Amino acid sequence: MSNAGFDIIVIGGGHAGTEAALAAARMGAKTLLLTHNIDTIGQMSCNPAIGGIGKSHLVKEIDALGGVMAKAADRAGIQFRILNVSKGPAVRATRAQADRQLYRYAIQQVVHKQQNLTVFQQSVEDIIVEQGKAKGVITQTGIKFYADALVLTVGTFLGGVVHIGLENHQGGRAGCPPSNGLAKRLRAMPFNVGRLKTGTPPRLDKRSIDLDSLQKQYGDTPLPVMSFTGSVDEHPEQVCCYITHTNKKTHEIVRESLDQSPLFSGDISGRGPRYCPSIEDKIHRFADKDSHQIFVEPEGLNSIELYPNGISTSLPYEKQIAYIQTIKGFENAHITRPGYAIEYDFFDPRDLKQNLETKFVENLFFAGQINGTTGYEEAAAQGLYAAINAVQKIQNKAEFVLSRDQAYIGVLVDDLITQGAPEPYRMFTSRAEYRLLLREDNADLRLTALGRNLGLVDERRWKTLKDKKEVVEQEFKRLRSTWVQAGSEQALAIEKNMGAKITHEYNLADLLARPEFNYQDLIETVGLQAVSNKQAAQQVQIKIKYAGYIERQLDEVAKHKRHEQTKIPQDIDYAQIKSLSSEVVERLQQQKPNTIGQASRIPGITPAAISILLVHLKKHTVAA
Amino acid sequence: MNRIDTTTIAAIATPPGRGGVGIVRVSGPLALTIAKTITGVDPEPRYAHFTKFFDEQEGIIDEGLLIFFPNPHSFTGEDVLELQGHGGPVVMGLLLKRVLQCGAIHAKPGEFSERAFLNDKVDLAQAEAIADLINATTEIAAKASMQSLQGKFSERLQKLYHRMVELRVHVEAAIDFPDEDVDFLGDGVIEEKLKKIIIDCDVLQQQTKQGAILQQGMSVVIAGKPNAGKSSLLNQLAAKEAAIVTDIAGTTRDVLREYIQLDGMPLHIIDTAGLRETNDAVEKKGVERALCEIKKADKIILLVENLEDITLDGATPENTIVVQNKIDLTGERPGVTTHKNYTLVKLSAKTGDGLALLKQTLKQSVGFSAPSEDGFIARARHVDAIARSMQALQIGLKQLQQFNAGECLAEELRLAHNNLGEILGTMSADDLLGEIFSSFCIGK
Repeated sequence: MSNAGFDIIVIGGGHAGTEAALAAARMGAKTLLLTHNIDTIGQMSCNPAIGGIGKSHLVKEIDALGGVMAKAADRAGIQFRILNVSKGPAVRATRAQADRQLYRYAIQQVVHKQQNLTVFQQSVEDIIVEQGKAKGVITQTGIKFYADALVLTVGTFLGGVVHIGLENHQGGRAGCPPSNGLAKRLRAMPFNVGRLKTGTPPRLDKRSIDLDSLQKQYGDTPLPVMSFTGSVDEHPEQVCCYITHTNKKTHEIVRESLDQSPLFSGDISGRGPRYCPSIEDKIHRFADKDSHQIFVEPEGLNSIELYPNGISTSLPYEKQIAYIQTIKGFENAHITRPGYAIEYDFFDPRDLKQNLETKFVENLFFAGQINGTTGYEEAAAQGLYAAINAVQKIQNKAEFVLSRDQAYIGVLVDDLITQGAPEPYRMFTSRAEYRLLLREDNADLRLTALGRNLGLVDERRWKTLKDKKEVVEQEFKRLRSTWVQAGSEQALAIEKNMGAKITHEYNLADLLARPEFNYQDLIETVGLQAVSNKQAAQQVQIKIKYAGYIERQLDEVAKHKRHEQTKIPQDIDYAQIKSLSSEVVERLQQQKPNTIGQASRIPGITPAAISILLVHLKKHTVAA
Repeated sequence: MNRIDTTTIAAIATPPGRGGVGIVRVSGPLALTIAKTITGVDPEPRYAHFTKFFDEQEGIIDEGLLIFFPNPHSFTGEDVLELQGHGGPVVMGLLLKRVLQCGAIHAKPGEFSERAFLNDKVDLAQAEAIADLINATTEIAAKASMQSLQGKFSERLQKLYHRMVELRVHVEAAIDFPDEDVDFLGDGVIEEKLKKIIIDCDVLQQQTKQGAILQQGMSVVIAGKPNAGKSSLLNQLAAKEAAIVTDIAGTTRDVLREYIQLDGMPLHIIDTAGLRETNDAVEKKGVERALCEIKKADKIILLVENLEDITLDGATPENTIVVQNKIDLTGERPGVTTHKNYTLVKLSAKTGDGLALLKQTLKQSVGFSAPSEDGFIARARHVDAIARSMQALQIGLKQLQQFNAGECLAEELRLAHNNLGEILGTMSADDLLGEIFSSFCIGK
């Protein structure tokens, strides 16, 4: 292997790093993936699940762009559920409980098969920067690698400090060393560094748990699939998860131990995720609740460990045992690994451009937890996006930007670069104002063609999409041109089977728009054959049901389009614009938004300021 | 090349003032459609059509001139429509409201000039001036909005807003955290809350009498015994005012109505037949009508000669201003005091002494604290925002009840919230999540 001649170097083999390396290589860039440990590529280091609300939307989008996450989930998922089934399709989300080993294996298989991709095991100690441009890296043993662009995904607990009770020590993820050298080097650069914290629950030995006494939670039937090109046949053996609850006794013990929690002693200063509170937080802040739900998740088919989701803690080990053993089914529980809280550094993502390139060092891209996000899905999405842009950049091609109305990935990136990460950033559907447009079911229709143009999408996926599109179009035509007359045999069948009145002539598309009808039943009732492509059938139904809302949201998108497309030159001097208040100038100066649309989403930027900015830009361009 | 905006904006273009001619200006792609919708006229470019302006029920709002300027030869460089009607806030307000109904949105402060500038219709040298204009008018609009958000209206609006946030918190929590113990969509909690908010919103719409008064004008009945000086007072109030519309349909010879404006506040003044016991059939009918008007009125001006005469069915200290007339005869000084909880104004309808005090008292009694057109527009915006919120809430309820579509309800609530947010400030998605996390114990 030569040390020179790489197009892209990806540093870090986590979820951001693997998607980044694979995407760059798929686009034809000669790519090097550097990781401190080849065996941990694709490791799920926190809870063993992929997807869930908001997150699954990201997974499907990554998949639509040819990414690996959904395929790995299909090969490693040991329990699949679709959440929000009782609600509409826009907010439905697939979640897979994954076998850690199988997941890692699935990712590694793809990585090792990928053309244009070289993997090398070495920790990176330094980045080579010449004249403001990233040129390469220096590893722990002094090896230098050169490339045209770097994607840095080493966020897993940079400068980490682990807290268990009032004891603390430097460290990365349990069992992994913290990446201190690189962290130190990065901190010497002009990036703004912030501190966040998160926590994990103690892991339990399955053999010590009375599983029979716990409530069982089975996966869905029929079995869901994560990837657009995946199939149920890829799934391994399916198992169930369990649910139990904390009780008054548990809460008593935790409450009495609060003074031994670093969260309450003031030892931890980083801000933790509000959506993932520790058991200490839950009991302290919601004192009136005397029970909290715990999801007991298997770590894998062959693992003896269970992950009790919902009781992350940083109490001392003996307190952890004490409160765990008060919980139903856990009376004789053996803890295999204690829970802990970890504080870590992140780099303020407002220092990034909308292609995730840093503003201070050209051709250096950041993706994943280093940007203040949490979660495998958020990391993977950024890795993919950053790598696409790194390749585009070195090939002198246009930035690849996904807008807020195109993809959750677009929402994620836009939120990060305009709002920063005051707490670990996790995706929720409520973050997407165009939620009814950005659905799981249409991620391929939204993105696969874009991915194809970038060289990310293989022939098989492309064909799957084309088939789906064609069936949807044909079926729409058929529904619109098939009429049911009042009093006809078909009308009577509909009235009888579906309890609806057919008072005059309707086409099937109109009928399907009614709340009481679904595609399958309607088609069968009128004696036709439903299309066999399940994804296409689902698409037809959803598009008809949501038609009014889709139209309205598209209107809203069109209204904002001009602002989103109006670029702000990066050399603009906001202080020169006299009519702007100093507060507005300061915020704009700091964040240097790319477009008027982005500027308008920065907290504190008023509509009047936007108007003045537009007037100034106009003057600027005419004068220039 | 022109940068044509996708949105169509509208505003009252004439400066604050009463009487004369007022212009509602519209700019954007919908201008022509709006012209046709409101007047039925398919306008020739740059030609002044004399036409009627219709409301949605085809009632006549006003009549006046319509001029259409197709792009790029217009003030803003976009399609521009000018509707010139009778000036004064009421007619202009109704006309603007109609235009907004047709899909235009309220122009932001300085937005016409901004568009003109961006479309090369204004000299480059004026860029700074435009920026200053935007700043200055934004400030005025903000002040006017603050002023019109005083008192009970504001309190109720704030309450509505907070309840709406609370509802959104419940709905979004149910959507984003289905595994938690917060499925309010399934258990009926949300439907109950939504119904309550719709009632609140309805009550607010009904009770924003100030808003209604400003839209349609306050009705004031002048009542009193024969020869108390009612007609003189009416003439005094009307004489110095510019706009006069008489003979509104339904007037009878014994209940006389005048439409006047008090510093821009519209008033319907109803002069009633003298109230006295009578056997004359015609006069009896007149007295009955007078009593009926008194019941419907927003305000009663009760003319008395001496203070023992404050006896009128339906008159309370809240709805009545007592006027002691004829101080020119008694030699008393004009002034405002209280008597038995009634506001008492002493004046002479004959000489006009003390008349200004009565006007001021009238204005204050309906909280008319923003006499400028800016204030009027601010209030009109608020009433409009509430109406749009109400509409979204009602569709949301239907989505929930008929389709069980929580996500569509959420979308309607987002719109309703945004509409109220135009008045009370918007809230980011992250703020909303923050509310969720502080309201419910969520998280694995």
